[in-house]
Amino acid sequence: MEEKQTQNEQEQVIQKTPSGIKIFWKEILKDKLALFSLIFFVLVTAIVFTVSLILDKEQVVKVDLFAIHQPPGGDFILGTDYGGRDVFGQLIIGTRNSLWIGFLVTALSGFIGIVVGVVSGYFGGHIDNVLMRILDFFMVLPSTMLIIVFVSIVPEYSTLSFSLIMTAFLWMGIARLIRSKALQEKELDYAQASRTLGSSHFSIIFKQVLPNITSLIVVTMTLNLAANIGIESGLSFLGFGFPENTPSLGTLLSYATNPVTLEERWWIWLPAAILILVLMLAVRNVGEALKRAADARQRRA
Amino acid sequence: MTLLKVEDLKVYFPVRGGVFNRKIGDIKAVDGVSFDIEPGETYGLVGESGSGKTTTGKAVMGLNNVTEGKIYYDGELLNADKKGQKVDIRKDIQMIFQDPYSSLNPRKRVLDIVAEPLRNYEKMSKKEEKETVQRLLSRVGLGPESMVKYPHEFSGGQRQRIGVARAIALKPKLIIMDEPVSALDVSVQAQVLNFMQEIQKELNLTYLFISHDLGVVKHMCDRIGIMYNGRFVEEGLKEDIFNDPQHIYTKRLVAAIPDIDPRNRKENIDFRERVKDEYSNSYYDYFNEEGLAYQLKPITDTHRVALPEKG
Repeated sequence: MEEKQTQNEQEQVIQKTPSGIKIFWKEILKDKLALFSLIFFVLVTAIVFTVSLILDKEQVVKVDLFAIHQPPGGDFILGTDYGGRDVFGQLIIGTRNSLWIGFLVTALSGFIGIVVGVVSGYFGGHIDNVLMRILDFFMVLPSTMLIIVFVSIVPEYSTLSFSLIMTAFLWMGIARLIRSKALQEKELDYAQASRTLGSSHFSIIFKQVLPNITSLIVVTMTLNLAANIGIESGLSFLGFGFPENTPSLGTLLSYATNPVTLEERWWIWLPAAILILVLMLAVRNVGEALKRAADARQRRA
Repeated sequence: MTLLKVEDLKVYFPVRGGVFNRKIGDIKAVDGVSFDIEPGETYGLVGESGSGKTTTGKAVMGLNNVTEGKIYYDGELLNADKKGQKVDIRKDIQMIFQDPYSSLNPRKRVLDIVAEPLRNYEKMSKKEEKETVQRLLSRVGLGPESMVKYPHEFSGGQRQRIGVARAIALKPKLIIMDEPVSALDVSVQAQVLNFMQEIQKELNLTYLFISHDLGVVKHMCDRIGIMYNGRFVEEGLKEDIFNDPQHIYTKRLVAAIPDIDPRNRKENIDFRERVKDEYSNSYYDYFNEEGLAYQLKPITDTHRVALPEKG
């Protein structure tokens, strides 16, 4: 009984401290654009992932010569492409693929970037030197060109291998950012105090320093997500993304390279183009709201 | 029986520059410091900023590389003989930091902060751990409800108490206090200092007290070492230092202690002027060409002063 009471008290006390999520909610609720963006993004993600579960992928990508270039309406909500394939179905599966790649690349590059950055910043000295020179090497590489080269020579071309190739050239930005923050944090007394209390370097890095830079990580990853969706679509547009039997937003968009399609069959590429634009804007808006929530000085009063 | 013995401690920081970032020189933060601390006493390290007192403390704690010299704790060598090695961190020595605002991780609840050393050294169940933390917090005068709060919800004095609770969690014997009250309000300083003295008596602790505030040092310490430019200029009992300062630097420091009584004001000003003149006139008698102090020489059993060789 008594224990329960103290527990209740403790819970009350916990509620007094606004948590990060609460601050973010407050910020989002104040910023109507960000709120709308978040709802939109969550909605699109949910719809795309659930509908693509129901949708028969084989059916969607099957060539049907009797239904070439159907305009919207009738049997096909958004018409068909030159292979008689349903554009709406491709749009759903394509958005799912693009989002999935975006998430995967963001998570992978974020993971590598965070580990490299925080280790480099925390230890400094030779470790920092070596890691940063490796990073510099990757920075000077013409990444888009190399991604294209790797995409064309990789034997088994799948979502995973594509994500890994993209990750290999996209982890440097976040690593630099995290490193500079870790450099600041490790000089603070609490990191040294942890050392005197007998904590290992590993636990100081991941249990003490990392929680203090989570806000930065969340913000950067969100903004990276928008960028990564864009990069993937761009590569697919250029023809170095997925093959046609794996639609993505970029492949749909690349139909617009055909001038006739661009001028007369807007239903094939326009929805994808709008979706890319709106999705990236939505993610960005949420990211900006997160950024403000993470920095007390930028919060809206 | 000495608890801590520091022998000819040197901590140099390399100055890098030129091509390939070579080492082009050293900053001699601590340059040959020796002292011992007896169990149960409070040893004060005093000096101006940059005199190396904090570096000495951190070297003993193992936060800085020791360039040369030996640190013994309870007769045991703490830093291996190899040059540039850090001191073994051990649970008998703990540290209280100067800035209570940055020494507590802002993302951790007080429970996690105070329990950190326990988690590293003692195997405890969650319940035991909670009870221990609660006991430690009540010892430093904080209620159990503070366990679930974050550091920013406390005042400076309360935060420093949390720092103390964390430091005594492992039942250490020696606590290094790096200007523990310098960041606090004057009204809170006395409260925290008295509380530290209480804790010292209760737990039979030994303090290495680093400060630049002579008033605070006079209140806290049994023995005092005065540092200047990385070296000791004078060392002795509190009475030796305050009643019979021998070195010109110490004289000037002691003369600078403020006096509240306004009737003595004129007298004090004159006295300080005289000491200042003496300081500038005899500076080269007390320091060598590089502005460093000479070796310490005993003048009584307890009192050692860095007087020049020629006398």
